[in-house]
Amino acid sequence: MLRISVTVNGHRFEHEVEEHWTLLRFLRDGLGMTGTKEGCGAGECGACTVFLNGRTVNSCLALVAEADGGSILTIEGEAAAGKLSDIQAAFARNHAVQCGFCTGGMIMSVRDLLQRNPKPSVPEIKSGIEGNFCRCTGYEQIVEAVLDVSGQLDESSKGELRYV
Amino acid sequence: MTVAFEYRAPATRTELLGVLADQGPSVHLLAGGTDLLGDLRLGLVRPAVVVDLKKVDGYSALSWGEDDGLIIGPAVTINAILDDPRVRESYPLLVACAHDLASHQIRNRATVVGNVVNASPCADMAPALLCLGARAVISSRTGQRTVPFTEFFTGVKRTVLRPDEILEAIVVPPETAGARASYRKLKRIKGHDLGVVGVAAMTNDGALRLGISSCAPTPVLVEGLSAGDSAEEVVAAAYAAISPISDVRCSREYRQRMVEVYVRRALEEVAC
Amino acid sequence: MSEHATVTRRETTVGTDEQRVEVIGKLTGDALYTGDLLLPGMLHAKVKKSPHARATILRIDTSKAEALPGVHAVLTGHELDYRLGLYVVDKDILAKDVVRHFGEAVAAVAAETDDIAERAVDLIEVEYAVLTPVLDPMEAIGADAPLVHPDLGNYSYVEAAFDPQPGTNIANIIRMRKGDVQKGFAEAEWVIEREYTNPSVQHVPLETHVAIVQWKAGDEVTIWTSAQSPFTVRNLFCTAMRLPMNNVRVIVPTVGGGFGGKAGIHLEPLVACLSRKAGGRPVRLQATREEEFSLLPCRSALTYRIKTGVRSDGTITAQQMSMYWDAGAYADYAVNVTRASSYSAGGPYDIPNAVVDAYTIYTNKPYGTAYRGFGHVEFFWGLERHMELVAQVIGMDPLEFRTRNLLQPGSTTLTGETITEHTGNPRKCLAEAAAAIGYGHLTPQEEQHERHTGRKIGKGLATLHKAPAMPSFTASSTVVKMNSDGSVVVNFALMEIGQGCNTAIAQIAAERLRFPIEKVKVAIERDTDKEPYDWQTVASKGLILSGNATILACDDLLAQGYAVAAQVLRAQPSDLDHDAEKVFVKHRPDQSVTWAALSIGYAYPNGNGVGGPLIGVGRYIAQGLSNLDKQTGQGNPALDWTYGAHGVVVDVDPSTGEFDVVRIASIYDVGRVINPGIVRGQCLGGMVQGLGTALCEGYIYDEQGRLLNPSFTDNKIPTAQDIPEQIECAAVETAQLDGPFGARGVGEHPMISVAPAIGNAIQQATGAQLMHMPIRSEDVWRALQDMEPIDNWITQTPAGSCRSELPTGHLPLPEVIIAPTRVEVPVLH
Repeated sequence: MLRISVTVNGHRFEHEVEEHWTLLRFLRDGLGMTGTKEGCGAGECGACTVFLNGRTVNSCLALVAEADGGSILTIEGEAAAGKLSDIQAAFARNHAVQCGFCTGGMIMSVRDLLQRNPKPSVPEIKSGIEGNFCRCTGYEQIVEAVLDVSGQLDESSKGELRYV
Repeated sequence: MTVAFEYRAPATRTELLGVLADQGPSVHLLAGGTDLLGDLRLGLVRPAVVVDLKKVDGYSALSWGEDDGLIIGPAVTINAILDDPRVRESYPLLVACAHDLASHQIRNRATVVGNVVNASPCADMAPALLCLGARAVISSRTGQRTVPFTEFFTGVKRTVLRPDEILEAIVVPPETAGARASYRKLKRIKGHDLGVVGVAAMTNDGALRLGISSCAPTPVLVEGLSAGDSAEEVVAAAYAAISPISDVRCSREYRQRMVEVYVRRALEEVAC
Repeated sequence: MSEHATVTRRETTVGTDEQRVEVIGKLTGDALYTGDLLLPGMLHAKVKKSPHARATILRIDTSKAEALPGVHAVLTGHELDYRLGLYVVDKDILAKDVVRHFGEAVAAVAAETDDIAERAVDLIEVEYAVLTPVLDPMEAIGADAPLVHPDLGNYSYVEAAFDPQPGTNIANIIRMRKGDVQKGFAEAEWVIEREYTNPSVQHVPLETHVAIVQWKAGDEVTIWTSAQSPFTVRNLFCTAMRLPMNNVRVIVPTVGGGFGGKAGIHLEPLVACLSRKAGGRPVRLQATREEEFSLLPCRSALTYRIKTGVRSDGTITAQQMSMYWDAGAYADYAVNVTRASSYSAGGPYDIPNAVVDAYTIYTNKPYGTAYRGFGHVEFFWGLERHMELVAQVIGMDPLEFRTRNLLQPGSTTLTGETITEHTGNPRKCLAEAAAAIGYGHLTPQEEQHERHTGRKIGKGLATLHKAPAMPSFTASSTVVKMNSDGSVVVNFALMEIGQGCNTAIAQIAAERLRFPIEKVKVAIERDTDKEPYDWQTVASKGLILSGNATILACDDLLAQGYAVAAQVLRAQPSDLDHDAEKVFVKHRPDQSVTWAALSIGYAYPNGNGVGGPLIGVGRYIAQGLSNLDKQTGQGNPALDWTYGAHGVVVDVDPSTGEFDVVRIASIYDVGRVINPGIVRGQCLGGMVQGLGTALCEGYIYDEQGRLLNPSFTDNKIPTAQDIPEQIECAAVETAQLDGPFGARGVGEHPMISVAPAIGNAIQQATGAQLMHMPIRSEDVWRALQDMEPIDNWITQTPAGSCRSELPTGHLPLPEVIIAPTRVEVPVLH
């Protein structure tokens, strides 16, 4: 067992952990923060994406021991004071959520992308979220949500169901 | 992942080299963890000690030596390479290979050193390092040796590293800085994927080099070519260097033929 | 203006782009999925799985596992005298004596922690006598093939619909006979016969299967599960465990995607037995991603042989269709996939003389189950590639050929159902898809792109149709309860799995009640003790059945409210009207009573009460459907037909076979759009899932039947980088007369026929004749080199490396037979 100290969404936690625990397992089983999901456990699907010390990581591929002394941001920290963040609101408006299982990790990647690149192009958006699988939406409405939140959604980029 | 192990995060290289010297065979080094954590989960490795090298002083540094060119420490991530303006300017081939490695989250963690130490035939960084004439600086408590990457890989997932050693730095010589280069990776999907064929080509001072991944037990370098050679000669040299197999990703004959197509295209890209 | 259009204009909630009703919890991470639940005393389970495809279990030694501290229960097959099966009852909870597929469960452990359970599983010793597996379904139906289920004759099965063949590996045969196929072929000028194949595919919901079960004293069982169909879990569980239904409660919180893979019963019985053995402590089992590929079921592989008689003017005169479905080790849904595919097998085309023979075949592979499209994704690959190739043979444009043969009012389906003008408009779907991609010619820019790059642009089309596959008497129900502030809660058991049913039902309820949607809450969690009955969440039937039940429940609630209001207001109910706040007298609107005052019983000023809580109940059952005749397949199986078409533009690199799907336009006749954003979401998501099936997904086995790609490393699914640059979705609205506000389902359909549309476009671009799905770059390259297709789905070499030299004559090469030659298709015994 190890004793670690981490800051999660601005709150400091001291916790006993096992050496082999992943960061994902610590968040879910240790802290009961189940918004971060496991989709594969192998770093392929991105459902477990969180920020570790300012950078997005697959939390299934990091030992929690590595995070000792570090700062973590998860989906639970995205909404502030009961109000959806701009990214979350754009996801809701643009139907970027279906089953919701990938959504937390997806939003982490979108936040990271927008921090690096406040007005990403469509190819940059697709590249920014390629590490996050979504099996439901086909990604298109997620791309539109990112265009929306970055102030780039206009008549030409706004996808709509056409009636014929 | 059920196997208990001891976690250590030494702060100095002396401490690290000591652990390796004392417990080498039962130690697994943890850099980005993107390969190790997967192997731990599947029970493919069962180390007694996992040594995290990210806290070792100086290991995350990307530095430039007067004679040595670029020096990549063992905890330097792929994205650190991509984010560095001087690397982007001087070693576009390194950047091209780094860019095609996995997803953004993985690149935030995966290291250049880890990618080559893992020694997969499809290691993305290997074609660039081979073409660039990079060297592996390998340290242990008893000393240090330098091995060119042409001699570093010994087989599928095998390298010259001994259990008491660490690849402490990758040195990319200044002679290849600014060389004209191209990297093309054939994947099954357009999103993040392992390459089924990877071809890097570089011309420098009239010499032509190819680095090819996924087509032999190790990534291979094809050298002794010149920028003036015909495409047929270059393809013949590439064919002589590779020994592709059929596997779940594609067939031997497709790999072989795509090496030809990709080499020809790379030649067009690096032609002046 | 038609009556429908008049109605349309009045609607205020149906047809609008409402935000998904349960979206906030999913955005914040608050939504609880089964795997997020933590129960007091909960144990964790792990499964010991077979490394062999077919073997006899000689010995299982669990003693070391049982001795491990923290282990509470270890189970093996012989302790469990239960058998499971949706339609053919053929599966043990844990393998007994024999294992029938790689990854099959042979033992299981419940322990204090995951880690202990995993260590205990490692300590279980199993000794096998390995047998040669039956892997190829075409070999499995040969006379000498070993039997996957020697006891098939002793299994019970649903006799009204299925026909297992004891003494063979055939789990089911379906036959359809329409018209006179001999006469039809005699009238043909061309007879064209080809064979199309596709491998097994994994659903890949992002949430793997998970169940928590507590089997308490007195046989009181509570199941929390990631299931699509809580009542089906309860029904099958109680049948297998011989328990009364009122002892068993199934609770489903938020589900992280299903796509059919969570439709039946899966982990629940095993976890329940572990809980019972562990003294009633709750036990949790969540599949790993690797287990998702082989412990849990997949989509069946298909070999589809089609022989078509056609005249030179493009008229199809006869079609003989033979389907060989690879069920894997257990029948599960595969026998019903066979049935549903058979009655749709000809597509949305008018085929006057038709024969379908469809076989569900047992093999020693992970078993097939329902998957979005329920067989149609698989057989439409063959059918719509075939239509393209037939058109090519007779020298007709494929669009013209398809259009000539499309169903129209007055046409009859394979089962004899007459199509009407209200059934839907496949013609319009196809025409609009063609128009959207500029079918039939390249633009100057496209021609220039070809010249500059050496690449080839092709434009392809494919049609699709599907009816829900469900029992003829499938029923759903809805309860609408009014709260004391006049808002309502809607309960129903159709499961929200991402498809948007919560929002669609909320909109239908709001519309029917004439309330703003903010006053309508749909209960998130499903609980068989609380929700009214629904059969399953499958088949794209939910919108019609639950939508209609919801309308009826709203009508019931309004009628109850009006009855009390009439009393309070001293008016005839027929003289009353209402808005969102109150019920009032039409001709004296100032005389009114609020919904809040009526909601839980009206109280007069003196304290007298009348009425009571307003609870509307709606029940709806499919109308006029019938069983199919076992000899001819004639009958009425279709609740509705949703038609559609895809138009695809590809950009192919002929020297490597790599290609980009640059544009896709998809058109569906959805009857009525309830929510355009959600309809579009289904279209986009289904299309991209179809793209995965088309481009990269599929199970690869070695010759011992071991699955070589049970993870995302070598079973890729599309990422955001893989979607076409331009995607267009459009709706045709030919009202379904018995659909809620004219709507019909479109959940599965977008996935169907994406692959053949791409295959057809590649053929138009390059001439490559693709007969196998998925279409990997190597497959295109090989087709262009006229090389034998790569067949690495069962490889000859050990794990990790498949064969490099292909045997000859393994797969029958497609043949084109030109009339007047007639070829008798080999008839299966």
